[in-house]
Parts: sequence; C-alpha cells; structure tokens
Amino acid sequence: MITFDRVSKRYGDVDAVHELSLEIPSHEIVIFVGPSGCGKTTSLKMINRLIEPSSGVISIDGTDTSTVDVNELRRSLGYVIQQVGLFPHQTVAENVATVPRLAGWDKRRIVARTEELLELVGLPAAQYATRLPAELSGGERQRVGVARALGIDPNVLLMDEPFGAIDPIARERLQNELLRLQRVVGKTIVFVTHDIDEAIRLGDRVALFSTGGVLEQYDTPEELLAHPASQFVEDFLGEGRMVRRLSLITVRDAPLAVINGSLPPIEKVDADATLRDALDAVLRAEDGRVLVVDSERPIGIVDADVIRRASR
Amino acid sequence: MSTLRYILDNWDTLRPQVLTHLEIVAISILVAAVAGLALGILAARSERFAALILAVTGIILTVPSFALFGLLSIWFGLGNPPVVIGLILYALLPIVRNTRAGILAVDSAVTEAARGMGMSGQQVLTRVELPLALGVILGGLRQATVMIVAIATVGAAVGANDLGQPIFSALSRDTGTLEQVLAGIIPVAIIGIFADVVLAGVQRLLSKGRVAVAAT
Ligand SMILES: Nc1ncnc2c1ncn2[C@@H]1O[C@H](COP(=O)(O)OP(=O)(O)O)[C@@H](O)[C@H]1O
Ligand SMILES: [Mg+2]
Repeated sequence: MITFDRVSKRYGDVDAVHELSLEIPSHEIVIFVGPSGCGKTTSLKMINRLIEPSSGVISIDGTDTSTVDVNELRRSLGYVIQQVGLFPHQTVAENVATVPRLAGWDKRRIVARTEELLELVGLPAAQYATRLPAELSGGERQRVGVARALGIDPNVLLMDEPFGAIDPIARERLQNELLRLQRVVGKTIVFVTHDIDEAIRLGDRVALFSTGGVLEQYDTPEELLAHPASQFVEDFLGEGRMVRRLSLITVRDAPLAVINGSLPPIEKVDADATLRDALDAVLRAEDGRVLVVDSERPIGIVDADVIRRASR
Repeated sequence: MSTLRYILDNWDTLRPQVLTHLEIVAISILVAAVAGLALGILAARSERFAALILAVTGIILTVPSFALFGLLSIWFGLGNPPVVIGLILYALLPIVRNTRAGILAVDSAVTEAARGMGMSGQQVLTRVELPLALGVILGGLRQATVMIVAIATVGAAVGANDLGQPIFSALSRDTGTLEQVLAGIIPVAIIGIFADVVLAGVQRLLSKGRVAVAAT
C-alpha cells in the first residue's frame, strides 16, 4: 500500500500538488487523471522521489520513503514514461537487463529473466532481443519500456501517460495487454493519464485532480460516473456519462427480464458482453428486445428498461 | 619530385623531427583529452562554469601561437615543454565544447528513465550520457588533433626539434629552398590527414545508434 499523507509540492507561491492524502491499495490499478498541469506527474514522481515533496509524507507499506536510500527505492519501483526513454545505444535485451544488472544479478539469471520478460510483453526474444530501439515501432518500444520496468519484479509500477503518444488502435491493444499483464503479475500500479476513458477502462480506482493539485474525487470508476462529487468532476466526465457507465457493467449482472412463453427475440448478446454492447443490440433489434446467451444457453432478455434500471 | 628527393637525402635529419612532432602532438592530445573531458562534464552540469570555461579556452585560442609559446618558454624554458603546454591549452576548447554539447544532446527522457530506475549520478554519466555523447566528443578530439598537428610546427621557434625546424631554417636563411619548406609541410599534412581519417573512422564506428549532433 502506498500512502500520501498531506503531501504538497510548491513551486514558488504556486501549488503543483495541494495537501494530497490518498491510499493506494496493493495489487490495484489506481489512475491519476485530470486536465493538463493539474499535478498528476508531480504526484507520481514524488513516489519515486524524482521530485521531493515540499511537505507531507509518502510511505510504502508503512515505511516513509524519505528514510530509505533513493536509488534502492527507485529500483524497487518500476517506472514507465510516455517518451519511454529506452537507451538508444543498447539492444532491447540490454535495455531490459538494466535493473537486474544494477542489482548485481549473475549473467545466466539476467539472460533468463530478460527472455521471460520479453515473452511476457509479447515480444519473442528470438526475434527482438538483439534489435536496437530505433528498429522498433512506437508500440513495441513501449512494451520494451514496460518489460524494462518489471526487471527485478518490483511490487509497484509507476506509469506516466505510457500510451499517450501511441495511435488509438495500438493504444487500445496496449491497454488490453496491460489488463492481461496485471492479471498475471498483480502489481500495485499507479497510472497517470489525461484521458478519462482510459482512466475508466483501466482503473480499479480513479483519483481525479483539478488545477492546483487538488484531489476532487477518489472512487471506483462506477461510483465516479454514478455520483460525481462536484461540478468540476461532472464537467470533466463530460457528455455521455451514463452511456460510458454502461461499458463497466456486464450483461450478466444486470436485472434481466425473464424469458416467458412468447416468441424469443432474434438478436442475441453474450452474457459476458457489456451493457453498452447490449444497448447497441437493443437499438438494432426490431422489437427492442435482445436475448442474453451464456455460451449458447439463453438466460434472459435485455431491453431499454433493463438497461435503464441497471444504470441507476 | 625534387622535394621527395630532398626528403630522402635528408632523412637522417628529418626522422627525429618527425618523431618529436608525433611525440609532442600525442602527449598534448592525451592530456587535453583527459582534462577537456573532465572540464566538459562540469560544463554540462553548470551553466555558469560553462560560460567561464568556454570564454577562457576561447580567449586562449585567439592568442597567436608564436606569442603563446614564447610566453610559456619564459617559465618552462626552451624545447618541448612550452610547446606541449601551449598545445594542450589550444586543444581544450573543441574538446570541452563538444563534450558539453554531446552530454546536453542526450534526450532528457533517457536520463530521466535512467535515474528513475535507480542509477546513481555516476552511473547515469558512465553508462548512458558518455556512451551516447561519444561520437560528438570524438568529433571534438578530431578537430583538436588536426589543429595542433599544424600549430606544433611553430614550436620550432622556441627550440622544439619538430617539423617546424626545416621550415624555419629555410625561411631564416637566404640559401633556404622551397624543397626545404615543403620537407616540413608535407609530413605535417600527411600526419594531419592520417589522424583525421583514423579518428573519423573511429567516430563513425562508435556512433551507431547514438545522438547525432553536428560536430561543429
Ligand atoms: N520544475 C517546475 N518548476 C515550476 N513549476 C513546475 C515545475 N514542474 C511542474 N510545474 C508546474 O506544476 C504544475 C503541475 O505539473 P505536472 O505535475 O507536470 O502536471 P500534469 O502532469 O498533471 O500535466 C504545472 O502547473 C506545472 O507548470
Ligand atoms: Mg504530466
């Protein structure tokens, strides 16, 4: 668990981060989101002390981070940035081996670990290990960045707009891969973005900041969308808040209508799809009713009423 | 052809002059490289130091070599020492300037990632910044080398027995011939071109994937 206790960062008279108190539970993805300049990066960099707080305490599993050796601290926290910052003079394998080498691992162990990490991020070592960063696409580079950050299996991963510079289609794939990766590795991930959709998609919890580094709301994506705590939050969430919320609810969990004697609907939707997909099917269906199937077995019916009730 | 004839006929005199010339240049460039690298690193870390050291080394370069060697010979006597010291001073500017420029040209995202992964300042310098700046640093070294190979000839004026000797003795006597002057100039040019080509090759070889900065 990472704890911010009344942490502030001032530049001159201006607060970049203002009295931030926050608990980041272990093994969860917590998103820092907000408009540009609201202090997301500053908050993140105070965790690995690339920026030192002006006041307040940040602790990890109860240990005040200011009391430990700064380089030891950083090696225990994976760090991924938007520009990736791969070492252009080193191969992919050498880049990934950076932290194991700093930690003094022996050669055989480093080679094995490097291969394992490249496989984990979907870049087969046989094909990628000896390439230089210049020979990779943007998406591949960012995967190497993630592999490098996981070098000595840190418990925490700090990610600053890692997919910000990547085109929308590749970004969605990387987001899915991050979620898949997280199911395997179960890290505590602090993830910065200015994109509310990315925040809702990836976050177990979302911390929404406003300018001046003020924490406006810290909640699950569902709660954030259902109950914005302020006008600022509501404005930042923008239009389509209810529709967005539907993408967080699986059809199976909605209060489905029962299938009675009459003719079953022709349109079908999978029980594991989201209510957003279901809404799409409802709009498509002649009679506005869609059959929900759980691996081909019908389990209920979804229509506009069901969706409305589920979204409350 | 007559120059080649002259060089061969006088090889016994010229040989030690070629060797002394090479020795003077080699010692000067080695010392200047070490000192210039250190000063360049400091200049990359501090704007104020950079302004100071670049001004000082720049001013040194404007002092005519004849005057500088003469001045240094007051303290260091005649012969090779004042020449070596003078050449070191001349060689500093390109090395310091390029070392600083090479380090500053390293992408800040790269150094931030390095620090973020827990490299100490020392490790960031030796494992990331210097390897990436190497091509640019070698460019400075190359410029400095070519420059002092030529300037070293003036050292003959304060008694260094280098390739300036045939030139000076030809110019200071009525009996001096063009062959004699060329006997000094041609080996100097060959040494200069050879050093340039070799260092350019090394630079190219080591610059793969590194920061590309015009070595001005
Ligand atoms: N080194 C600095 N000096 C002065 N102000 C800074 C510095 N770094 C950041 N700031 C200011 O702090 C605020 C928060 O910056 P940052 O955390 O980078 O924002 P975000 O990542 O949310 O876009 C901004 O207003 C920025 O201008
Ligand atoms: Mg930022």
